[in-house]
Amino acid sequence: MGRRGSASSSSSLESSNYPALSSRSSLYQHNRDLSTDLRLGLSIATSSQGNPSTPSVSESDWPPIKPFLKETLAAEENECNSATFFVKVYMEGIPIGRKLDLLAHDGYHNLIRTLDHMFNTTIIWAEMDGEHSEQYHVLTYEDKEGDWLMVGDVPWEMFLSSVRRLKITRADI
Amino acid sequence: MLRMASSFPEEVLEHVFSFIYDDKDRNAISMVCKSWYEIERWCRRRIFVGNCYAVSPPMVIRRFPEVRSVELKGKPHFADFNLVPEGWGGYVYPWIAAMATAYPWLEEIRLKRMVVTDEALELIAKSFKNFKVLVLSSCEGFSTDGLAAIAANCRNLKELDLRESEVDDLSGHWLSHFPDSYTSLVSLNISCLGSEVSFSALERLVGRCPNLRTLRLNRAVPLDRLANILCRAPQLVELGTGTYSAELQPDVFSSLAGAFSGCKELRSLSGFWDAVPGYLPAIYPICPSLTSLNLSYATIQSTDLTKLVSQCQSLQRLWVLDYIEDIGLEALAAFCKDLRELRVFPSEPFAQEPNVSLTEQGLVSVSEGCPKLHSVLYFCRQMTNDALATIARNRPNMTRFRLCIIEPRAPDYITLQPLDDGFGAIVEHCKDLQRLSMAGLLTDRVFEHIGNHAKKLEMLSVAFAGDSDLGLHHVLSGCENLRKLEIRDCPFGDKALLVNAAKLETMRSLWMSSCSVSFGACKLLGQKIPRLNVEVMDERGPPGSRPESCPVEKLYIYRTVAGPRFDMPGFVWTMDEDSALRLS
Repeated sequence: MGRRGSASSSSSLESSNYPALSSRSSLYQHNRDLSTDLRLGLSIATSSQGNPSTPSVSESDWPPIKPFLKETLAAEENECNSATFFVKVYMEGIPIGRKLDLLAHDGYHNLIRTLDHMFNTTIIWAEMDGEHSEQYHVLTYEDKEGDWLMVGDVPWEMFLSSVRRLKITRADI
Repeated sequence: MLRMASSFPEEVLEHVFSFIYDDKDRNAISMVCKSWYEIERWCRRRIFVGNCYAVSPPMVIRRFPEVRSVELKGKPHFADFNLVPEGWGGYVYPWIAAMATAYPWLEEIRLKRMVVTDEALELIAKSFKNFKVLVLSSCEGFSTDGLAAIAANCRNLKELDLRESEVDDLSGHWLSHFPDSYTSLVSLNISCLGSEVSFSALERLVGRCPNLRTLRLNRAVPLDRLANILCRAPQLVELGTGTYSAELQPDVFSSLAGAFSGCKELRSLSGFWDAVPGYLPAIYPICPSLTSLNLSYATIQSTDLTKLVSQCQSLQRLWVLDYIEDIGLEALAAFCKDLRELRVFPSEPFAQEPNVSLTEQGLVSVSEGCPKLHSVLYFCRQMTNDALATIARNRPNMTRFRLCIIEPRAPDYITLQPLDDGFGAIVEHCKDLQRLSMAGLLTDRVFEHIGNHAKKLEMLSVAFAGDSDLGLHHVLSGCENLRKLEIRDCPFGDKALLVNAAKLETMRSLWMSSCSVSFGACKLLGQKIPRLNVEVMDERGPPGSRPESCPVEKLYIYRTVAGPRFDMPGFVWTMDEDSALRLS
């Protein structure tokens, strides 16, 4: 781009070379003849290899999202990453309990799967019906009022707000 | 014919003109003959100035002496993305000062991307006795003290809308400046404010304004206060909640659900900061009548989002985070047949790897299932030419199409080809396309398609695209209706601009940053085309201190009848006849 002339009035930029500039007309020209337009030896410009700068989140200019949304998302991310809710879990007959982060699970199915794995058994909860083998275990929880209830009857979020701890008992009681 | 026109009483013409609101129609009327020009200018009540520097306040006032409503826009659109440095301009004070004396009966001021000060707000509050509407969209420079002046003095205020403005939030006390006798509020949007307003003041304000139809609260309003507010305004049509998170308590839930059920006119919801899925069912009863839902701040996951949108059969507009995923968009396509506008924002815009399963497929599904879809803003991490072509064929009624692929210059991820043909299909099929924003790997070919087909295109945004000046030339020479062009990080230089210089006077503005336009070319344009302001922005120092062939950092060119402006900061230079002499 203009590497030819270094003097202040580079010949390639003379307005007479550009009809659109030398006439005082402001009429829009439908000039689609590219070969005429660009006969002055348009060289393919080297592409700008610039990439978006990535300074701090609030100063960044890519991707193009508005500041308000950017700030809200940054705040949300900080909150989400740090939230945990550990509760104690006991299996009947085993004196040493475990601890489990309920917020690392997004629902009952996920929780049951983790517990099945942790205690190497099949856990029964509210959503399961039918015949239960005596070798299975039932998952119960203690709520804020001190009552023991079967897990799974209330919406997950409501469960999270009332659960104190978990207990896995034998199914034959 | 001329005799007949002049014997027609002015009053009759004026009466007829009073039914014409559209600016273009009014402009056409004013060009019929001198007497119509005169009659029309005395009865034009509403002015829209798309670029506040295109004309000066005295010029507007001289021509239109009886204006009641003014709308002004200031900074270029790319200012939204931190591309316009602080102090660039867009000051509204000179306008307010001029209008304070010229338009004592001014009722409405709507501003976008302008710098508004407390002085300006105070001047508005005391100058216009019948002031009714103040909309400050993406504005900055004022504090809650200015808002207090508006609240205290504008007896007839109907609308106060601060959407997305940056306010120096000194305290929430300003809201209490609305006097007890004030009852005319129709619309209040304070969603951008950080600090807490007095909840009792808010409740009393809401309670005594029977015509209140729009209320957008800020994040600081807790969920357990929302029911009380809603109960005082069951006539609300548009609501923005505050934070939508609280410990799950059955009594809070049931009062909230009851309050929502009582709002039979509610059609638009927004807010939902920190939304907790447990409280979403509170809005289920009103979902079927919702036409607009803005969940941009709601970090709820796909399952809950899907359940929610599936109940909104009347939905026309949805703004949502990409947590909705393809599966949620499929549900949207299946249940929301009246959908007209979709915006999907990235939940983790700075992460390299996708955190959710949102792909091109989601957009394709919506384009298939929603026949009225015409406006799209979609952030994603992958795209194919096939998907774009399918969307184009499905939705020839598309008028606004903005795609952003997080990774710049990303090719079609299956064929590894540029996305030229995909966007080519968009412009070819969507003959009424007015606005286009492109993404991914793009060569000069896509610009050829645009120049050939996008005849109704008014606004084009381009980033990291093209190979040479040919690309820019195609657009400038082919897009007959182009008004706004914004370009960043493209290899476009002098030639296309200089050859198409006359085109620039037919457009509102052109923005180019991180391109290859030389200082010399800018000077030439500025010298030769008097009704263009060619502004060079360079934070490295005066462009004259570098060789003429050196590319400028940022370039903003706009047509104007007001000549060069004089409120520029140190890093902006206007190229005109005088400055060209001074700088060379």
